[in-house]
Formats: sequence, C-alpha cells, structure tokens
Amino acid sequence: MTDLKREDKQASRCRRMLEIACAVLLATMVGVPVLFPGSVAMAQSAATPVLKIDTGDTAWVLTSSALVLAMTMPGLALFYGGLVRSKNILGTVMQSLIILCLVSLIWILFGYSLAFGPDKGGVIGGLEWIGLAGVGSEPHPAYGPTIPHQVFMVFQLMFAAITPALITGAFAERMRFSAILLFAALWSVAIYTPVAHWIWGGGWLGKMGALDFAGGAVVHISSGTAALVCAVVIGQRKGYGAEYMAPHNLPFTLLGTGLLWFGWFGFNAGSALGANGIAGGAFLGTHAAAATAALAWMWLEWIHRGKPTVLGVASGAVAGLATVTPGAGYVGPVSAIIIGAFAGVLCYFAVVWKGRLGYDDSLDVVGIHGVGGVLGVLATGLFASKAINSGGADGLFFGNAGQLGTQAIMVVAVALFSLVGTWLILKVVDRLVGLRVSSEDETTGLDLSQHDERAYS
Amino acid sequence: MTTHKRSMNTILRVLAGLAILLAGGMALCGQESGAQAPSVPVVVTPEAAAAPAAPKIDTGDTAWVLTSTALVMAMTVPGLALFYAGMVRSKNTLGTIMQSFIILCLISLQWVLWGYSLAFGPDKGHLIGGLEWLGLNGVGLDPNADYAATIPHQAFMVFQMMFAVITPALITGAFAERMKFSGFLIFTLLWATFIYDPLAHWVWAVGGWVRNLGALDFAGGTVVHISSGASALACAIVLRKRLGYGKEHMVPHNLPMTILGASLLWFGWFGFNAGSAVASGALATSAFVVTNTAAAAAALAWLVVEWMYRGKPTVLGAASGAVAGLVAITPASGFVGPLSSIVIGLGAGVLCYLAVLWKAKLGYDDALDVVGIHGVGGVWGALATGLFASKAINAAGADGLFYGNPGQFGIQAVAVVISVGFAFVGTFVILKLIDGFTGLAVSEEEERMGLDLSQHDERAYS
Repeated sequence: MTDLKREDKQASRCRRMLEIACAVLLATMVGVPVLFPGSVAMAQSAATPVLKIDTGDTAWVLTSSALVLAMTMPGLALFYGGLVRSKNILGTVMQSLIILCLVSLIWILFGYSLAFGPDKGGVIGGLEWIGLAGVGSEPHPAYGPTIPHQVFMVFQLMFAAITPALITGAFAERMRFSAILLFAALWSVAIYTPVAHWIWGGGWLGKMGALDFAGGAVVHISSGTAALVCAVVIGQRKGYGAEYMAPHNLPFTLLGTGLLWFGWFGFNAGSALGANGIAGGAFLGTHAAAATAALAWMWLEWIHRGKPTVLGVASGAVAGLATVTPGAGYVGPVSAIIIGAFAGVLCYFAVVWKGRLGYDDSLDVVGIHGVGGVLGVLATGLFASKAINSGGADGLFFGNAGQLGTQAIMVVAVALFSLVGTWLILKVVDRLVGLRVSSEDETTGLDLSQHDERAYS
Repeated sequence: MTTHKRSMNTILRVLAGLAILLAGGMALCGQESGAQAPSVPVVVTPEAAAAPAAPKIDTGDTAWVLTSTALVMAMTVPGLALFYAGMVRSKNTLGTIMQSFIILCLISLQWVLWGYSLAFGPDKGHLIGGLEWLGLNGVGLDPNADYAATIPHQAFMVFQMMFAVITPALITGAFAERMKFSGFLIFTLLWATFIYDPLAHWVWAVGGWVRNLGALDFAGGTVVHISSGASALACAIVLRKRLGYGKEHMVPHNLPMTILGASLLWFGWFGFNAGSAVASGALATSAFVVTNTAAAAAALAWLVVEWMYRGKPTVLGAASGAVAGLVAITPASGFVGPLSSIVIGLGAGVLCYLAVLWKAKLGYDDALDVVGIHGVGGVWGALATGLFASKAINAAGADGLFYGNPGQFGIQAVAVVISVGFAFVGTFVILKLIDGFTGLAVSEEEERMGLDLSQHDERAYS
C-alpha cells in the first residue's frame, strides 16, 4: 500500500519535473529572443560579397571536412575505445561509428535545413532546404562566398556528427545500443540543430554578436552539459569506485589523441572557410593552445601526484584543443598560449574533483569538453581582437567589456538548453526502450551482450 | 590532512603562476595587436601596377601548406610515436609514446617563443637568426617574400615548426627504454635551441652560410635526418646500453603498431617533402611523385637483400626500408626526377640495411636504429642530391654530377661533414652537461620495471 503510494508520488513528481523542464525549454527557445529584441533586429552586414568559387578555398574546406571526419572515426572512437575495459571496446567504437552514419543521414535529410536554413524568428531554420533542396554547388553569401554551398554543408555535417559522439564518453560501458541510436537521433535534431542555428545559422545569439569561431558553445558546451545530464540520469557503472577500471589499451587512446589533434586543424582552421590569413592564424592558435595545455597538465600532475602520466598529457592536449576552439580565429598566438595554460589547469582540477561529486562521467566529457568549452567561450570574450580578425569583435582586454557579457549569455543559454533538453530526451528514451543494459549484460560487457562479437581473440 | 594541505598549496601556487602568466600575456597582447598593421585600402593606379607586386596570398598555396603542416604533425604524433612504441618491449610502450608526444608540445612552444626567431630571424653573421622575431613579434598573417611569397608568414612558420618538432623526436629511438624523463626534457630543449635552430639557419635561412655555399637540401636531409642521426649516435655512445643488451632477446612487442606508424610516416611525408615547395603546383607534384617512388623502391630493395641474406623477407624490414627510402629522398625531392628517385631509393634500401646489420659489430646500442636509417639514409640522400639534381626539374636548384656539374657533389659533401660534425659534437657536450645535473639513464631497478611504471606510474595494457 505504502509502496504504491510512494510510486504514485514519484510518478507525479516526475510529471511535474517534466512540465517544468518543458516550460524552461520553451522559455529559452522563445523567451530569450523576445527579451533581447535588439539582437534579432540587428540586420546582416550590408555589403553582399562576390560569389565566386575559389579553388584554393574549396580545396582547403574539403580537406578540412576529411580531417574532421577523421576526428570522429577513427580518432574519437579509438580515444574512447582505449579508455574502457577490453570487454567494451567494440561497443565504444561502435557508438562513434554509428553516430557518424546516423547523423550524416539526418543532416542531409533535414538537419542542415533546421540548422542553417532560412531563419525563422531567430530560433530555428526553416524547412526550405529539406533533402538539400536548393543546396547546390553555387556558393551561399553567408556560408562561404568562395566555396560551393554543398562543401559548407558537408563540413558542417562533420561537426554535427562529432558532437553527439563526444557525449558517449559519459555513459560508456553501460548504455543499451538501441537507446543510443534513439538518443543520438533525438539529441541531434532537438538540441544540436537549434543551437547551431542560434549561433551560426543566423539565429538570435549570432545576431547578438556572440563569437564562437569553431564550436566552443555549439559543440563543446552543448556536449559537455549533455554529458553531465547523461552521467547523472543513467547512473554509475556497476562497481564504480570499488573496482579498478583501468584503461585497457592506452596506446589506442594516444593514437586517438594524435588523430584528434591532427583533425582539429581542419575543425578550427577549416572554420575560416577559406585558405587565408585567418586560417593560418587559427591553425597556429590551435596548435599552440594544445601544446601549452598538455604541458600545463603534465606539470601540475607532476607536482600534485608525483608522476607525469601519458593519459594526463593526452587529456591536457584535448582540453587545450576544446578550449581554444571558440577563439581560434579571433585571438593571436600569445593569447592562445594563455588560453591553453588555463585550459590545462582548470580541466585538470575539474577531472580531479569529479571524484568528490559522485557522478560517473566515465571518460571525463564534462571535465574536458564542458569546462573547456565554457572557459574557451568566456576567454574569447577576453582575448578576441579585431586586429586578428576584422570580422570578429574586440574582447574585454582590447577595450570592449560588453563582449564578455554577450559570451556569458551564450554560455548560459546553451548550457541551460542542453541541460534541460537532454534530460527530457533521456526520459523519453528510457520510457521507450530503456537506457541501461541489464546488470548481467553490463558484467558480460557491451561487445558480447550488444553486438555478439569479441574485440580480441 | 597533510595531503589536503599540500593540494591546497599546489592550487595556490598554480593560481599565482597563472595570474603572472595572465599579466605577462596582457602586456604581450597589446604588442601582438600592435604588430598587425591596419589594412589600408589600396587604390590601384597604373604607377602602382608598375611597381614590384606586393606579396599576395594565394589560396591554393595556403591550402596546401596548411594541409602539409597537419600531415607533418601526424608524422610525429601518432606516426613516429607508434612506429617506435611498437618496437620496444611492452613495459616501455607509454614511455616511448610520451617522448614523441611531449616533444610535440615542448618544441611547439619553444619555436613560437624563440626557436623560429633563432632559425629564420634576420641573419646575424651568417650563423644565427636575430632575436627580432621573439614571441612571433612581426611574424603575422602577411606573406614574407624571403621564404614564401604567397602564403601567410605564420603558415610558413607553423610548417617549419613541425620539422623542428619531429627532428628531436627521431633521436629518441637511440635512447629508447632507458632515458630518464626529466633528463630527456632538458636534453630536448637544449638540443632544439643549440643544435637544430642554428643548423636550420645555416642551411635554410636567408644569409645562412651553408645555403650561401650553394648546398641543396629541399626538405631536410641535413637539417632533419643527418642532424638527428649523428646526434643519435652520440646518444647511443654516451648513454649506457640497455640491461641485457646482446644477451636477452628484445623483440618488438607489437609489430602491427609499428606498421601503422610507418604508414602514417609515409602518409605524412607527402606533406614533409611536397609541402616543402611551399606552394601547390608543378614542384610540389614532382616532389610528391619522387617521394612515393623512392619509398617503394627502398622497401623492395631492403626486402630483396634481407631475403637473400637471411632467408626470409620480414615485415619490419619492409617498414624500415620504406622509411629509409623516405629519408634518402628528402633532400633530393625537389631537385630530381622519378627515375633518379628509383636509384636513390634502391641505394637507400641496400645501404641502410647494411648499416643496421653492422651496428651489432660496432657495439653501441642504437635501440631503434636511428643512426642506420636516418644517419646513413640522410648522408646518402644529401650526396645523391649532388649526383642527380637537375635544373630541368627545378630551375632554382642546380645541376648535379651526372648533369655535368661535379662541383655540386663537393658542396653536398661539405654540407654533410659540417652537419655530422656539428650535431655529433654538440650533442655530446649537451649530454655530458645534463649527466652532471640530473643524470641521463634511469636506475637499473627502474629500467627492469619499465619506463611506463617507473617514469609515469601507468600501464599501457590492462
């Protein structure tokens, strides 16, 4: 009797939370543009650029697209694959691979249209470009005036693919495969495409002047926040905190790190959408920040824990890469070095302190992409300079304090939206197929229980 | 309690450090923005058109050099890291990967802060670059016509950075499985500053004295391979041998990893050699073709010699042969045609095979054959450039001995002797210095335990 009552109460509490979540979600999607009407009213730049395909720019963005592909597969797949126990490596690799395939199709069919299609009220793109209708080989004035529109589209596709793949590190070793498919599809449509639209597709944040060169908010804050929600909702792995869960193959992880770093040149320098000075500067900033963050992490770990670890420098490099992403095309090399140093230090502490908070973000997506993303977006508001990129803005250190506020609004909006939206999606997926594998399947490992294969024989 | 206090102290110290960094950075930032000249709208008049054309960025060239830079980065990490890591015993896997990885980080900063200025900055007495470009001061997004007139100066700088990174990483193969991590860090920093930067200046910078002699080195045969090979020899001689060397069987623990690494090296070498044209066009294409051809020829040559000599063709042999061919073609890649590259590749396969074979007779423990492949291959390549170079391939180069200019061979020989001598002696001195401070090799106990656990407190495989 009391059990029934408790269940009832739980159900009603659940419903109420769902309602609240829906309300917050709606408020962020609709309310913010209303609250900041000036931002939406701001018109696009008056000058219409000349639309002419440049072979060098096209070569660079195509190369960059391939580089970003290599970040997800095999880069991220092996980075995560090496960190799990050997019974889960195929399941982990599979998550990146299948998200790449799934999101690619979604993006072509309607994702691109929702994210970058003609703006509807600053909130979402229209359905005019469904199935790439009208997205041809002619350049688009706002999306790379010197490259075919489809090249821009496929470059953006790779960003859409890697973002949900990043989240998989939070629920590694315990999520049901069918649930992952459903989650990735829903998350990509309901979270990624609106956020991409707000910032890059002519939406309200972009009009407000928020700067996100290559996806600090769109990719890293959104995935980092979603990862936090996943870790909390799905719960800890069996034996977390009690058993020793060492990475089964660190050389894999290092191979993955190398490929991520390699691919990140396409991610950041490719975001210049041309082979020009800004691409050169973004390339250098990316590299300098990654190198600095890895050294900072190593040095910190050395004095804090006694030994510099290889996993530490790999994590530090990825933290630096994630952090410099939003600022890459707006900051100079010295600023990038400072950003990298802060990334290495703050992400190190975020990962160390995770243990005290109790949630099982298995592969540290929150500590690296979430914290790194927030830090990077705010740092862009400090270090951005029009001398580096006249298409950007000056940050606080270059005399424009307002930019930091705009960046902060972007952080809050994206984090909040992803937080609530991810929570809702997880609840829906849980109701439909169930999120977790059974306890027995978890003990067996994902490779055998989900895919009926062994990685090593 | 004490650990808590210690960690609080650590945090405070770190935060203080960051605050100082931030303050310093702020000052530099102002300078950074000042370095960027405001863009002035150019009014095109007939007079302006007649004047020498201002350097203008070409998107195709920039795209290719940026791509090449990413490719060369992938040679060090993950390429070289895995190539070497597969060849060591499993207890040293992470320690070996770590060396390449941390060199990538360390030298990238060194290059931005002072390395590029020393190597390519305004010439001082034909020996070294000045300090005018410290912290990339004045190295902006406009092209520098001295080095690459059609790409942003920073693109050229970051491309060169990847060369500065891979060179010390190549040396790590000589002291694999026994170098102390702290000593290794100091060695890397000193070596890059006192050996690589001056040598790069001599050979490549405007005003460098070896360049003024007329020595040809398209993509780094002397600067990268001879210097790292000669330094590797010094390392193998100064450092003690691995425990049990010559008695225990020290087989590579994961050859597929080595093959993956060798393939990534080959893949990245297209950026290394064809990217050294610093433009996308005929010269880059020619360099690309000869790079691939020489690698293939050398792998086959090594295979055949090994088959005849030892009875079986090995996979490690094919991989080593390919790398030897890539090393040998490096200085020649922009100056020779495809048929010459086959000869260069075949020569590399045979010579480097013999060098690796004879290593055992000489007694030093060059653990992963840096001397035999990069040293010998580099010397062969530099000399072969003096034989096979042709102005028909690259008008800006010179003719070699076989094209009627025997003097070029002599110049190449001088460049080889200078690089070997400078790198060997310099490395020897640096090693002796470090040995006096932190020591070079790990303790015997640590060596038995393996670098992974003793230096980094981790295991590669669980």
